[in-house]
Amino acid sequence: MSDEHSARPPEGMRTLPRGDSAQRKGAQMTAPVVEVAALRTRLDGRWVHDGVSFTLRPGEIVALIGGSGSGKTVLLNQLVGLRHPDGGQVKLFGEDLARMGVEALQALRRRFGLLFQDGALFSAMRVAENVAAPLREHLPWLSAPLRDEVVDLKLALAGLPVDAACKMPSELSGGMRKRAALARALALEPELLFLDEPTSGLDPISAREFDSTLRVLVDSLGLTVLLTTHDLDSLWGLADRVIVLFEGKVIADGPVREVARIEHAWIRSYFDTRALE
Amino acid sequence: MSNAASPEPCCHLELGADGQVLRLRGDWTLARLPELQARLHALAIDPLQPLQLDASGLGALDSAGANHLLSHLERLGVPFPNLHLAGFSAQGLALLNLVAGRRGGVAPHSRRRGRRGLRQVVGWHAFDIARGTRSGLAFIGQTGQALGHLLRHPGLVRWRELFVQLEMVGLRALPIVMLMSYLIGVVFAYLLGIQMQKFSANHLVVDGVGIGIAREMAPLITAVLMAGRSGAAFTAHLGAMKVNQEIDAIVTLGLSPFQVLVLPRLFAIVLMLPLLTFVADVAGFVGAAHVAAWHLDIPTASFYDRLRDVLPLNTVLFGLEKTPVFAAAIALIACHSGFTVKRDARSVGLHTTATVVRSIVAVILIDAIFAVAYPEIEP
Repeated sequence: MSDEHSARPPEGMRTLPRGDSAQRKGAQMTAPVVEVAALRTRLDGRWVHDGVSFTLRPGEIVALIGGSGSGKTVLLNQLVGLRHPDGGQVKLFGEDLARMGVEALQALRRRFGLLFQDGALFSAMRVAENVAAPLREHLPWLSAPLRDEVVDLKLALAGLPVDAACKMPSELSGGMRKRAALARALALEPELLFLDEPTSGLDPISAREFDSTLRVLVDSLGLTVLLTTHDLDSLWGLADRVIVLFEGKVIADGPVREVARIEHAWIRSYFDTRALE
Repeated sequence: MSNAASPEPCCHLELGADGQVLRLRGDWTLARLPELQARLHALAIDPLQPLQLDASGLGALDSAGANHLLSHLERLGVPFPNLHLAGFSAQGLALLNLVAGRRGGVAPHSRRRGRRGLRQVVGWHAFDIARGTRSGLAFIGQTGQALGHLLRHPGLVRWRELFVQLEMVGLRALPIVMLMSYLIGVVFAYLLGIQMQKFSANHLVVDGVGIGIAREMAPLITAVLMAGRSGAAFTAHLGAMKVNQEIDAIVTLGLSPFQVLVLPRLFAIVLMLPLLTFVADVAGFVGAAHVAAWHLDIPTASFYDRLRDVLPLNTVLFGLEKTPVFAAAIALIACHSGFTVKRDARSVGLHTTATVVRSIVAVILIDAIFAVAYPEIEP
């Protein structure tokens, strides 16, 4: 490589090359993107997670479901390193989060994106600046025109109209805010996306549109996605696999069709809310 | 940027019998955009000839890389449908299709706002001030209306909220008010003492301290403290409620935010500021008496005897009388500022800062008006 871009980060930042399906398939056999093993969490004197284990393989969309207070959001926070589990192990891209130094964790954070439940857009910045923020932080040597080009692309990929770019987050509707947050989460070309209730608070039409945007992005960008949801339509229409959290444990893990047939009181009542259709 | 030789250039152009072939090599990813830009722009692609994209040597491809390639070709006059694609994986094709389909026609600079000229800045600020004044007056009017309603329906007083605020504004501020005022008394007596000792008129320190503290220092210091402490708290609390839509919820429940939020705060601070000022008077005198005893050879008993002789009750009352006006100004500024917070986090910070600055300015302004209106010191 030429020396003129010495500020460029080292090669091999990505372990999964894009655009080569043979290699991706090979990786699928060997390397799970997310591994959670015997995870335990204590919250207010109660074990919220008591031995939670599951894995995510590349290219999957996995939905995490469970009643309110079953610790889905806490689990997401632990997966992204915002919170330490009280026991067990979390591995992202094969690396144990608990054993990583601050810098290694920062480097790892560039490889995944997180969509917070209500977007968590920076309210003092316009939408375009929100999407540009991770680029400015992590790729400061990117020139302004190139950065703008990337920002415009991400906004378009997330399905935002052109005029949304210069709006403030407070001027956006709920659905637009989620899309803006998605654009920000996609800014650094992540391989892994965590979505916390991506369709909550959206009308069914916007929710389905959001789902299909997500499906297209996952299929073409080769993303792996873990989402928490209460939306049965998302579950049936989007998720390749469902993980059910109940009383601190994973009680079911498999394709929606199979999980919906499991004879378990909570799963029954969860899916029976739609039995009439 | 130069086109220096490197072991594996990311792209190069070949001219064949049936048109041009653009061979892509290595990684086309976000992290390498500047290099890709330099190399790609150096190629002399002829838009009139057919162009084939050959990806047989392509490593990783991400959306930023694909987008850069496609938009450059499009700018040259080779739109995506005219390209011949060869050697792409299924995933790569999907990515190219997605990017080509979704790319909007945003001009990169359309989002930048131009710099405002001086006239525009002045104009905007003038409008801001006018709008602020209007909404401030409206706020005072609405508070007055709510107050009138409350006087006609005394049953509507929110006792719980009122007592909570009395505790927050008054009781919890006691230690800091006493400490500050004690220290002011110490400093005041000490500096006056140094001057008075030159004339062997040590006892005159009591006159100066008495009038200075009771008439100006205690009311002003206490009011400034309240502006910083309670004023900021009011704005931050109401602002956060506004961000959270709690104020809208109060209105929807058929309650008046003025009755529920503004009036209890207004009453609490109007009641508490005179009381705190009185405590500050006493603490200031104690501080001055300590300095007088240690430093100026005035026994504590004679300090208080002289204080009673030279400090007319009217001076103390004058100091206390202006404090409810200070208090009302602080409460109105703080609550109004809290109510006008926009729905974002930055706005809460800006409004809280504005509250503290404005209410301190208002307190000093009101104090000056009182000083000019009632210049006489003796009763």
